Amino acid sequence: MRSPGTGYWSRVRKIFLPAAASGVLVFLLAPFAALVFRTRWLHWHYVPGDLEAVRTSLVYSTVAVLVVVLAGTPLAWWLARQRGRATWILDALILVPLLTPPLAFGILLVSFYGPYSMAGLALSRLGVLLDNTAYAFVLAQIYAAMPYYLLAARAAFEAVPAELEEISLTLGVSRWEGFWRVTLPLARVGLAAAMALAWVRAMGEFGIVLIFAYFPQGIPVKLWVNLQDMGLEAVYPLLWTFFLVAIPVPLWLGLRARRRAMVLTWR
Amino acid sequence: MAVTVKYRLSRPVPLDISLEICGLTVLLGISGSGKSTLLRALAGLVPAQGSPWNQVPADQRPVGYLPQGLALFPHLRVWENVAYSLRGPAGSRRQAVLPVLERLGVGELADRFPHALSGGQKQRVALARAMARKPALLLLDEPTSALDPVTRTEIFEELLQEIRNSGVPVLAATHDSGLCHFADRLAILDQGRIPVAGSPAEVFSSPPDPRVARLLGITNFLEGTVHSGRGGDLYAVAGAGWQLLGRSSCSLQMGDLVTLGIPAEVIRPVLEPCQAGPGENILSARLSHWRQEGLQVGLHFSHPFPLHARVSSPVAGSVLAGNAQMVVQIPAEFVHLWKSLRQSKDFS
Repeated sequence: MRSPGTGYWSRVRKIFLPAAASGVLVFLLAPFAALVFRTRWLHWHYVPGDLEAVRTSLVYSTVAVLVVVLAGTPLAWWLARQRGRATWILDALILVPLLTPPLAFGILLVSFYGPYSMAGLALSRLGVLLDNTAYAFVLAQIYAAMPYYLLAARAAFEAVPAELEEISLTLGVSRWEGFWRVTLPLARVGLAAAMALAWVRAMGEFGIVLIFAYFPQGIPVKLWVNLQDMGLEAVYPLLWTFFLVAIPVPLWLGLRARRRAMVLTWR
Repeated sequence: MAVTVKYRLSRPVPLDISLEICGLTVLLGISGSGKSTLLRALAGLVPAQGSPWNQVPADQRPVGYLPQGLALFPHLRVWENVAYSLRGPAGSRRQAVLPVLERLGVGELADRFPHALSGGQKQRVALARAMARKPALLLLDEPTSALDPVTRTEIFEELLQEIRNSGVPVLAATHDSGLCHFADRLAILDQGRIPVAGSPAEVFSSPPDPRVARLLGITNFLEGTVHSGRGGDLYAVAGAGWQLLGRSSCSLQMGDLVTLGIPAEVIRPVLEPCQAGPGENILSARLSHWRQEGLQVGLHFSHPFPLHARVSSPVAGSVLAGNAQMVVQIPAEFVHLWKSLRQSKDFS
């Protein structure tokens, strides 16, 4: 016998929920439609310095992401394999930089690496000036991207059972070789998604860069400068370029990670 | 070929083990007794002191290890899993492992991924992978747990044949006393030590205490007082309304309080009342209920003490046709006697 509420819940599931989900999606994507309609396609032109900003963002973001991946991957693996009561301290230590507002982080970087700080003075003696330089720009991007990469990469490693690494050892394969033959292949999609996240964070970072490395100007700061100097119409070409260079690769990687997660669930 | 291991560790479970492993040695212990920890210590995955391979890293030990979940690499095909420990070009590694896979009956699955295999097929592949390295010792953790209950005996026998052909000594940790039937040697792990080890016949014939007896599948326990010695290790023990002959590996005195352990399989209902022969117990018992236990029938008696017997269906059919009061025969050699812990406490 059908329960009295069955028909009602069936209607909710078939009509209301899809309608609500569509509404939320439209809400999320509507601003992108504005970009399509507001862009003056027949009068497309860049503002002087825009292409230089694109180059700056692409080159330095690549360097920053490389540093983040090289330094963050071993740390993320180590964090993933920690078991014990004190792991919550490690979690908190990673979350603090993640949760710190970017502007505040920028101020912290100026305080720590600025020209009058101990670290700044020590580095300047080595020829590394962290005052509106490429070094400062990359450092700001690293700080923006590293916590996100660590969290996502740690999750990717946690999804690989430690037992497989142990079995690899008992088969006469060193821990290092086992990492390349077992851990990395199994975590690769999650790590790629973590890298994509780091890329987006590095490319899009505005707050830290604004305070710590105003020059050289990457895309986010240049967009802000164009907006201040010339108004909304002047930023659209650079904004389109920003989307084109920053989004496709992470989007593709994100979709792959999602598809793989679903395949593993079905298995 | 035999390996003698002496291992001591304090965490995660304190263990102090000395054990000779030859043929198939089954390590029997309850869950949480440290069986898996001992295997992991022998494989070098848990810090421990001992010999052989003291302080030798796991990747340099000549030890094959099959964990409970088998841990096949999900991103590698069957042949790639088996050839994981081999060196050289992919083609030659594949050629090297194909005959092994054929012998184990999984040759046609060489290009499949582990998720497409059944429990028994996974077990074969995991065994082939561990054996590919030609270990000096093979460790199996709960080897029958991943197998289908219907076919597990058959599959395990096949795997065992393969292992025996290789001549590698095997230590199989399990809580399944059914695995003891396959063992060349049986060891009991209890409270961090091995209180008894030997051939299955030796261990089953004289379990050192009721805890071990319970682990070996003995289900009937009761308390009585030693009435008299009958020569050798035979003693007459009496309780409220009953008297039984039993065996004890240690010397008992008249009046000693003892625990009796009787395996359910040795209790035989008899149709006609008869006289007890030498070394036999004849008991008049009242059947309270019975239950089908697989191919056998469990008979539960309530008098003169609670007793569980397991008999074949035809035997059960003939005795269940009679009345509830019946006669049962229990060979004295299977009635185990241990000094009661309660008495020891009293004496101390």
